[in-house]
Amino acid sequence: MIEFKDLTFTYKDETKPALQEIRLSVPEGGFLGVIGPAGAGKTTLARAITGMIPHHYPGDFYGSVTVNGLDTVDTSILDISRLVGMVFQDVDSQIISPLVEDEILYGLENFGIPREEIPRRMEDALEKVGIADLRERMVTSLSGGQRQKVAIASIIALQPRVLVMDEPTGELDPRSSRQIFSLLKELNEEQGITVVVIEQKIMLLCEFAKELAVLSEGRIVRQGPTRDVLAHAEELQAIGVNCPRVNTLSRILSQKTGTEQPVCVNLDEAETMVRRLIG
Amino acid sequence: MIKLDHVSFAYPEQGPSVNDVSFQVEDGEFVAILGANGAGKTTTVRLIDGLIRPTQGRVEINGADTVTSSVSERARRVGFLFQNPDRQICKNTVREEILFGLRTVRGEEGEEALQARCDEVLKDFGFSGEEEPFSLSRGQRQRVALASILAVEPEILILDEPTTGLDYFECCHIMDRIRRMNEEKNVTVIMVCHDMEVVLDYAERALVMAGGKLLADGPVREVFRNEELMESASILSPQMISLSLRLGEGFRDADTAEDIADTALAARKGGAQA
Repeated sequence: MIEFKDLTFTYKDETKPALQEIRLSVPEGGFLGVIGPAGAGKTTLARAITGMIPHHYPGDFYGSVTVNGLDTVDTSILDISRLVGMVFQDVDSQIISPLVEDEILYGLENFGIPREEIPRRMEDALEKVGIADLRERMVTSLSGGQRQKVAIASIIALQPRVLVMDEPTGELDPRSSRQIFSLLKELNEEQGITVVVIEQKIMLLCEFAKELAVLSEGRIVRQGPTRDVLAHAEELQAIGVNCPRVNTLSRILSQKTGTEQPVCVNLDEAETMVRRLIG
Repeated sequence: MIKLDHVSFAYPEQGPSVNDVSFQVEDGEFVAILGANGAGKTTTVRLIDGLIRPTQGRVEINGADTVTSSVSERARRVGFLFQNPDRQICKNTVREEILFGLRTVRGEEGEEALQARCDEVLKDFGFSGEEEPFSLSRGQRQRVALASILAVEPEILILDEPTTGLDYFECCHIMDRIRRMNEEKNVTVIMVCHDMEVVLDYAERALVMAGGKLLADGPVREVFRNEELMESASILSPQMISLSLRLGEGFRDADTAEDIADTALAARKGGAQA
């Protein structure tokens, strides 16, 4: 669904490339987590999928990015946006309507969704994100976390085939963060939507993402199935990517017992590992 | 000392965001305020800083009511690090940003003393001073904001989600600096934070809020081990505490991966001997 072929991109007036020789393939129905330290190029990667690079942010663009076979350089942002929905890191730069309901309506009307279908899509999106009770509220009266949910609902209502989320849970509490990731999982598994999530909360990525790509200084330094990437925990920590504590526990137990323990990605696996060890 | 006495606050045309909350924080404590989105955490810290005034009750800093004390007096005592550093930074260079706070709060000390203090802080934070804040990364901008607050040497530091949007290194950098201020200078820290791992690693005491009310107040580890409380406040405990609770009574004192590993190995040895 998404193909990066040796993409190197340098923003206009910058000398150092933001992304270098990116080779990445996300199949239809894939769920990719992107992680890396600040300034690694994560947001630039997301912008490349949505076509904002190079259409909106000019610069030197080498290589290619295709989404569903469409080359993002040759395709207009409007056409890409019918395929790819993106939630920005700074949701306030995304929300433009004073009322929650209007914010969701705005996208639906702009996309020319038939009038009779709009109420159902709106209710569905509000319900899924868990903000049905905020429908008639002023956006300015909402907390940061609530505004984040509004931005997510407005994109989900458009039913894109690819969802790109740039730190969608930045302002959310742990429970709401899990709720958003559960929703992404549901959209991914039940509707086959391809999901790309940039996220600093490694615990969530480990539980939900099928694959991980680790970026550092504009390059992909690791990519593959989540568990395989996590097996390189020390390398990840050296570049500034933390690992979940369950994973740290696997490593400590491997060192202390002298035998390789399984790479754990969630609590269930860690519990099984410890119980097996105790015997 | 910070004292909230039956404090309530309601934003216009809304129900109470903070509802009859009372607690006291002694000098030098490191307190985390926990709760779901909309629980009233940010409103509570804004009340402490005097950014908003209680609709009922009293907020006191060292015995002085925040409603009647002067803004400059409070600014001197209380430093507030916002979640988003861009709402805080207003100058074109890091040096100017740090001097701005110093001149506003400690202007009477004279320019020479303030420049010297600024140099000291720049050195401490590893800035040359000539950097343009908005060309820096989010984590670095957060450090600029923190540097300008710590420059004035507040007695109380309020942090509203200080680690949001920061990567692992940046998070450790900021939090270690705050811990140092707390331990070495006895600065009182009140932190709103959604990252329970950070809370467990740094805070000693937790105040738990839900629906504007204070649900619980106690040592961080005890609070996280109270499953019923965590459920009612919609909080997920840190991973290792959740794991130790699942593993049962024998793991009651294990809060870290290291503790759990040691407890598991001891249990295995014990089992082998039996």
